[in-house]
Amino acid sequence: MHRQAKSLQLRHLDAGSCNGCEQELTALTSRYYDMQQFGLDLVASPRHADALVVTGPVTDTMKEPLRKTWNAVPRPKRLVAFGDCAAGCGVFQEAYASHGGVAAAFEAPDLVIPGCPPQPADVLKQIRRLQTGDEKPSAPNP
Amino acid sequence: MKSIAVETIESDQWLTRNELLKQAGAQLLALTAFRGNRLEIHWLLPDGNVTAGALNWNGSGFPSLSPYLPEVAWDEREIHDLFGYVPKGHPDLRPLIRTPRWPAGFYPLNDDSRLRPIWVDMEPDNPAKTVEGDGVTIMKVGPTHAGVIESGHFVFSIMGENILHLDLHLFQNHRGVEKSLEGLSTEEVPPLVTRICGADTVSHQTNWAMAVEQLAGHQAPETRCWERIVLLESERVLSHLNDLAQIPAGVGFQVAHQRALAMKEQWQRGLLTLFGHRLLFDTVRPGWSAKGDSDSFLALVRAMMRDWHPWRSMVEGHHGFHDRMNGVGLVRRDDAERFGAVGVAARATGLAFDARTLMPLYQNVSVKPVTGGAGDVAARFKVRLQEVEDSWRILQAALDHLREASDGPPWTPPQDLAGETVSYSESPHGLNVHVVALEEGRIRRYHVRPATFRNWPLVALATAGNAVGDFPLINKSFELCYSCSDR
Repeated sequence: MHRQAKSLQLRHLDAGSCNGCEQELTALTSRYYDMQQFGLDLVASPRHADALVVTGPVTDTMKEPLRKTWNAVPRPKRLVAFGDCAAGCGVFQEAYASHGGVAAAFEAPDLVIPGCPPQPADVLKQIRRLQTGDEKPSAPNP
Repeated sequence: MKSIAVETIESDQWLTRNELLKQAGAQLLALTAFRGNRLEIHWLLPDGNVTAGALNWNGSGFPSLSPYLPEVAWDEREIHDLFGYVPKGHPDLRPLIRTPRWPAGFYPLNDDSRLRPIWVDMEPDNPAKTVEGDGVTIMKVGPTHAGVIESGHFVFSIMGENILHLDLHLFQNHRGVEKSLEGLSTEEVPPLVTRICGADTVSHQTNWAMAVEQLAGHQAPETRCWERIVLLESERVLSHLNDLAQIPAGVGFQVAHQRALAMKEQWQRGLLTLFGHRLLFDTVRPGWSAKGDSDSFLALVRAMMRDWHPWRSMVEGHHGFHDRMNGVGLVRRDDAERFGAVGVAARATGLAFDARTLMPLYQNVSVKPVTGGAGDVAARFKVRLQEVEDSWRILQAALDHLREASDGPPWTPPQDLAGETVSYSESPHGLNVHVVALEEGRIRRYHVRPATFRNWPLVALATAGNAVGDFPLINKSFELCYSCSDR
C-alpha cells in the first residue's frame, strides 16, 4: 500500500497542440493508469488547480487565454510544459503563428515533460515529481 | 513526372462548371489558392477520376462560389484571410482564421517572407453573429474548456435551455502549417505532415507519400499497399474507439466510457509494440511504411474482440443510453449533401460516400460504406460500431496478404521532383485531401483540406434547436479534431 502525502489538481490548456498530447493526457484517467490513486486529477476550472498543464507551441491566438488562465490559478502554482511543442522543441516552433513553446511565449515552466507525445506512464512519473517537490521551485508571483 | 491536368476556366464559366459537377454527384476535394491570383479546384468524380479547373484573374478578386455552393464558404473565407484575395459576392466575409491581432497587410501565404509578424496588442476575439431579441441570452464558451480537449470558442444564442444559433470561432490552434511546409525538401516534409493532426496522422502521412509517388510515376509494390492499409485501418480503429469512449462520457455513462477507454489503451499498447508509436506517428513516407509482425497483430485483433463483443452488447442493449442519443443533434441528409459533409457524419445521414471505395490503394479490398439512417448522435455512434468491426475484417485480410508478400526494391523520390498533384484518403473523420506542388524537389505550395474542416459547419447546424446541455454530447458525436482544421 502506498501513502499519498499530497494531492495535485491539474488544469489542462491546449495552446496549439495536434491533439496527440490531449489523447495521452486523457489516457491517464483510464483504469490502466488511474491517476486518481495518486491524488492527481484533472479539474474543470483554473481556480481549482494547483498546476497548469500546457500543450502545443503557444499559438498567437492562445497567448492571451494562456496568460489569463495562469492568472486565475491560485498560488502556490506550477506551470507544466507537456510535450515537445510546449517544451519548445516541436516541429512547428518556427511557424508564423507559433510562439515557439511555453518558455519563449510566456515564462519558464516548472516542469517540462518531453515527448511527441509523451507516453502516459512517463507522464505519471514526471507529474508526481511535483508532489514530492523534486523539481525547481516556482518563481514567486510579483 | 505525372502532374494532374488542370484546365483553365474563364471567370464567367467558373460558377456554372462547378455547379454542374456538384449536380453530377462529384465530391469536392479542395479549393486551393496560389500566389499570383490563381485558384484551383479539384473534384472527385463518381467513377473515381479527378478533374481539376483553374481560375486566373486580374485585379482584386474572383467570383465567389459560396452563394451557390455553400460548402466552399469557409474555404473562400480562409483564402481571403491568408492570401488577401476577395471572393466577390460572398455572403459572410468575416475573418475565419485572422484575428484583430494580425497586422494589416499580413497575408502569410501570399508572401515569400518567412518572418513572424509583429502582432497587434489586442484581444484575439472576432465579432460574433448572434440572435437579437427579448429573452435571448448570449453564452460564450471557450476557447479554453473544462475538460481535456482542444481549444475552440463557441458563441451560443440561447433562449431558456434552447439553442437558437451557434457561431463557431475556431482556429485557435492555427500554427501556420501550410507555410511551414513551403520550401522544404521531400525528406524534410514527413515529420511535419505527421503532426498536422494526432488523430488522423496516418491518413495525412499516406496522402503525402501517395502525392510524391504519383508525381514520380512510382507504383508502390503490393506489400507497401497492404502495409498502408493495415496502418490506415489501425488508425480508424484507434480513433473510433476514442470516439466510442467519449460519446458515453457525454451522457455520464461511465462504465461504457471506461471500458472503451481501456480497449483504446490496449490497442495503443499493441501499436507501440508493433510499429513503435502509440498514435502511429512517422509510420508512412514516400517509398516506405512501417511493418509489424502479422501473427502478433492477428493475436491482438483476436484479443480485442474478446473485450469488444460484450461491450458492444452492453451499449446496444442500454435503453437509457439510446434515449439520450436518439433524435439529438440531427443532420438532415439534404443538408449533409449541400454542405459536402464527409465521413461518419455524412454516412450517418444515409449518404453512401466512403473514399476507400474509390481509392486505388483499396482496389483489392471490398469496402461497403456503412450508412446509419437518422443523422442523429445515435446514428453516428452506430456507424462507428460497425466500422470498427469492418476495419478488423479488413485488417485480418491485409495481414494474411502481408505474411506472404515480399518486399519490393527500396525506392526514394528523385531529388528534382516537380509538378502538381492531389491525393486523398478516408481518414477516421472522412475525406482528407492534400494538394501538393513541388519545384526542384522542394514544396512550392502545400494545401491540406481535412475532413473536419468540411464538417464543422454541420456541427453548428446540428446544434441549433437542441438543449444547451446536449452540446457536449453533440460535439463528441462528431468528435472533430480542431488541429487538422486549424492547421
